[in-house]
Amino acid sequence: MWGIFLESVVVFKNYMGFHEGGYLAGIYLFALLYLWLTEKDKSRRAVFVYAPTLLLAMFFCPLFRKVFVRVMGDSETYYRLLWLLQMSLVSAYGILKLCGRYRRIGLAVMCAAIAACGSYVYDSPYISKAENAWHLPQEAVDVAKLIEPEKGRVTALVPADLIYYIRQYSTNIELPYGREMLIARWDYHHAMYEAMEKAEIIDTEEFVRLAREYPCHYVVLERDRQIEEPLTEYGYELYAEVGEYLIYQDRETETP
Amino acid sequence: MIQIIGLLLWLVAVPFGIGLIPASFISEDKRNPGFVMLAGYFVMWALFEVAAIPAVLFVKYNNFRPASVCFMALSLLCAAAGVLLMYRNRKAGSGIKQSGFCPVRLFRQMGWAERIEWLLFLLLLGFQLYRAAAYASFDGDDAYYVVESLIAQQADVMYRILPYTGRPTDLDVRHALAVFPMWIAFVAVKSHIHATIVSHTIMPLVLIPLGYLVYYEIGRTLFCRDAIDKDGVSRESGITRTRENLPVFMILMALFQIFGNVSIYTNETFFLTRTWQGKAVAGSLVIPALLWFFLLLYEGGKKERGKEAGLWFVFVCINMTAGICSSIAVFLVSILTAVTALCLAFTRRDLRVILQMGAACIPNVIYIAIYLVVAYGYLLK
Repeated sequence: MWGIFLESVVVFKNYMGFHEGGYLAGIYLFALLYLWLTEKDKSRRAVFVYAPTLLLAMFFCPLFRKVFVRVMGDSETYYRLLWLLQMSLVSAYGILKLCGRYRRIGLAVMCAAIAACGSYVYDSPYISKAENAWHLPQEAVDVAKLIEPEKGRVTALVPADLIYYIRQYSTNIELPYGREMLIARWDYHHAMYEAMEKAEIIDTEEFVRLAREYPCHYVVLERDRQIEEPLTEYGYELYAEVGEYLIYQDRETETP
Repeated sequence: MIQIIGLLLWLVAVPFGIGLIPASFISEDKRNPGFVMLAGYFVMWALFEVAAIPAVLFVKYNNFRPASVCFMALSLLCAAAGVLLMYRNRKAGSGIKQSGFCPVRLFRQMGWAERIEWLLFLLLLGFQLYRAAAYASFDGDDAYYVVESLIAQQADVMYRILPYTGRPTDLDVRHALAVFPMWIAFVAVKSHIHATIVSHTIMPLVLIPLGYLVYYEIGRTLFCRDAIDKDGVSRESGITRTRENLPVFMILMALFQIFGNVSIYTNETFFLTRTWQGKAVAGSLVIPALLWFFLLLYEGGKKERGKEAGLWFVFVCINMTAGICSSIAVFLVSILTAVTALCLAFTRRDLRVILQMGAACIPNVIYIAIYLVVAYGYLLK
């Protein structure tokens, strides 16, 4: 039980971002404590004081965690229980109640505190200027446009960088493997993925044999991907070049 | 042009029309355009759940079409019924209250400081909308959810094709009951816009303002109610309960969203970086909306008889909306409702609260039962 409790503590710390200097939880706990001491309205006390406190207690309760994980069959989503605390709502209400008639000074102080304790969401490395209305990398859209069939479906083997995006543009392009191969902890094995991504230098003969098992109508390789022998010697033709990608079409596989 | 008409119809007119139904069955002081729009969305999403889940479970091929035809018929009927009900109410002399929302009238009543505070909030909101439309946020889960929407739009199939590869697959119950991506696909089909564009560019422009509308309504409930109740008991409890607190509350909420990225797990991070995913809607719309309704249903003194039916109806629909967002969200809102009901029953010394809230969670129980039967049904064979 102690071990399960410690797991919940780690989840809480990771959620609150303590290890990265995030201290918004401090503002929340302060606001919650202030509401404990001052909130007199019965309904608000139940919604903004008792319920969050009980939920926090449940979050750290080993037995509750055990039941939750068993029912959901997944411990990775346990952190979502903390969404029920609605920290920003409780914090904003508690702060305004604390500031009373000095709310403008309070607002200035709190703006500074939130900025200092929080983390600016738009600094995230996952956010970048959109290149098009799909919000996908333009090179992925260009590749997908070139190989998308007018009718029917094609199968394309693409580098890991494009796997997330190709089918967000067109579901008429099928892939021999998908995102599941890119998540290491899911621990999938796929011979085609091993041949495409894991080999330092692609073994062309084995690679072509696997690709034709599907069969893959197109193979997209990064321009600087090392390969033992060119694909053009195995019945492929260079179909197009897009940025750093070379698109090969298999002449031995009928394309719709 | 046809795209804009489609979007306006399905993202503004229809939800507003549907929202007029519950608005016709609540007291006039709670009735305002913000309530109508939010109630309309929650009822509409509940209708979508009712239309889509049977199609997902019982129709194997081309199951998106029957779901969308059924949903379209239901929602248009409800929107028309809402308009008729409001027309009848207007004739009877009780339409939608404008005081909460008429911008010109409110602007005239404000002092300069309050005007500047609202301007500051609108700048923060505008900035978030600009960043949502002009910047792309990468998330690996899009390879599942966004592609599911696109499959429904391009192949007319719900949850029978593996989004990662395009190969046929069995139902994955954890995702198949959470049909929010299918609603996005419906909007995409009706507006003739690519589902990925609807997800990444249009949905944030709708869902972020809706999220703030929920916060606005919570703020109104907290700060703009009369200090004296109908039963004559003062409810002042230390805080200066004036409308002037509302813009400050909204600024704080906007700042918490912008600086809430202390980790990738917070609901604030989900709200601004994965807005179009059902789980983000659960964290930033559904759960706050439940808190809003806890306040609406249990704040103040005696309620007028028969003036709460609309509130309870929307409360049930909010619970149902959790189901289209994610399966886990159903468990979460059930836990939240149970815990809050217990606390409200304790503070109000009224055990009926538990019965009322328990009855409102019946759709969650049905959802969980379906989930368990589909997930573990093989054990019964």
